[in-house]
Amino acid sequence: MKALIIDDERMARQELRRLLAAHSEIEIAGEARMAEEALNLIGHIEPDVLFLDIRMPGMSGFDLLERLDDVPQVIFTTAYDEYALKAFEVSALDYLVKPVVPARLAAAVAKLRPRKVRSTLERVFVKEGERCWLVRVVDIFLLESEGNFTRLYFANERVLIPRSLAALQERLDPDVFFRAGRRQILNLKWVQCVNVGVGGNLSVTLHGGKTVEMSRRQSARFREVLSL
Amino acid sequence: MKVKNAQYWTCQIVGWGAYSFGAGLSTGVIANGWRRSVVIGYLLFFLYSIGLTHLLRSQIHRRKWTSLSLPKALLRLVPANMLIAAVQSALVVSVYTGIEGHLGEWSQASSIAYMFIGLSVVDTIWTILYLAITTFRHSREVQRREMQMKLALSNAELRALEAQVNPHFLFNCLNSIRGMISEDSAQAQDMITRLANILRYNLQKDRHHTVPLASELEAVSDYLALESIRFEDRLRVHVEVDHAVGQSAVPPMLLQTLVENAIKHGVEELPSGGDLFIRASLEGDALRMEVENPGNLRDPRPGSTQIGLTNARERLRVLYGDRASLQLRSPRVGRVTATILMPTTLSSSA
Repeated sequence: MKALIIDDERMARQELRRLLAAHSEIEIAGEARMAEEALNLIGHIEPDVLFLDIRMPGMSGFDLLERLDDVPQVIFTTAYDEYALKAFEVSALDYLVKPVVPARLAAAVAKLRPRKVRSTLERVFVKEGERCWLVRVVDIFLLESEGNFTRLYFANERVLIPRSLAALQERLDPDVFFRAGRRQILNLKWVQCVNVGVGGNLSVTLHGGKTVEMSRRQSARFREVLSL
Repeated sequence: MKVKNAQYWTCQIVGWGAYSFGAGLSTGVIANGWRRSVVIGYLLFFLYSIGLTHLLRSQIHRRKWTSLSLPKALLRLVPANMLIAAVQSALVVSVYTGIEGHLGEWSQASSIAYMFIGLSVVDTIWTILYLAITTFRHSREVQRREMQMKLALSNAELRALEAQVNPHFLFNCLNSIRGMISEDSAQAQDMITRLANILRYNLQKDRHHTVPLASELEAVSDYLALESIRFEDRLRVHVEVDHAVGQSAVPPMLLQTLVENAIKHGVEELPSGGDLFIRASLEGDALRMEVENPGNLRDPRPGSTQIGLTNARERLRVLYGDRASLQLRSPRVGRVTATILMPTTLSSSA
């Protein structure tokens, strides 16, 4: 698996490299001193995993994730940053405190999976105020357009991200995500019940009781897709 | 302040009102019945007595007579009281003659003398009461302030202890050292020595104790040596310290706090790092310590609590009152300086 180490301190990168030498399944495909550098490298080498420091000059580790369309697996490395880690609502794949304990690193590495070759989104990083989430796309049950922004519904959260619904739709698996109208895309795996309303229009109830009304045309398509 | 003023005016009105009414009843009405000269005379007496004693009160405060020694205060208060009594007497006589058209009993000098002596006594009683009440209030205020000071002191102690070792620095440093062991064991040893020095310096329990500036600078230089291993060429330090100030007594960890702050805001966050200046010199009688780093005053990082600075200010205030200051300024665009001015004393401890 290809890994990218992102840390502003040379000694810290070197130390991680030394520790990772014990794990032959990890190939260190690159190192970045700061987030801007990392952005370029991620595009080129398409790493399976990022070892990412949170506090860095310029852009922080969180800022970097926010810039990524699709987020690979992430293992945070941090010296001491209770505050930053608390910001995480849905925990990242893992985080390691520096100096890294070899056994903890081994456990984190064991959880890694090679990334499948795929064109669809896997993970998005979402930030709202001081809170942030690394959300698996399959856990999102509804996407709702708000101008150039999109509101994501997952777990008990509804968070706005600065990407348009159209841009997101291009990267979503069409077998799972259904365009329910001009403003909404819903995740078929989270549909709890479907009601037939006047005139045959459907209304779909999703996780948490959120309902989506569909137009006649979309209702017909919905029936088609689910072969109702 | 408002409450105090309201109480003062109540005392004035009730006091002078009672006196005017009582005196008017006993000396005027009983002897002469409800005459216009008596009623108007005492009504006016009530008003100008309040006015005159109010003037006395503002003189006492403006000229700070309460802070004088007792003989000096008496030298001013006694004539002032006699002056007021004289003015009151003159007004009483003028009002009476104005209404009645003749001097009446005031044609006798002895009557005027008795009245003058009587009023002097009354005014003196007023002054004594006034001073007693304000002194009592003042001492309560002083007590309250002392209590607050003690509370602030213990809070500052607590926070100073909390802020001792920056954990982010400590763990990053340990991580670097572990990496350095295989790369350059001699430097790793040196780093451990420096880290031990810092920890020892940090563990000084007595936060009121001062240390010679030279010791503080030693700790600062150990700290900077460790940070420069982390930041490498991103951290450039310039130290400009006057030899004369090495033995000046300073609170421990104060300059260190400023330096840590400067690194946090001026080096750590900048991709290309920055130049750090540490200066110490005498400025007149004061010791001036200054740390300059790149940055802007206007954009405090979100989540920045400024606890380091607040804490440092509080320690200075507790130790030196208003004789010390800590200021953040921007001498030119893109640079920030933190300047401490504090009294110089020679350190007794080495």
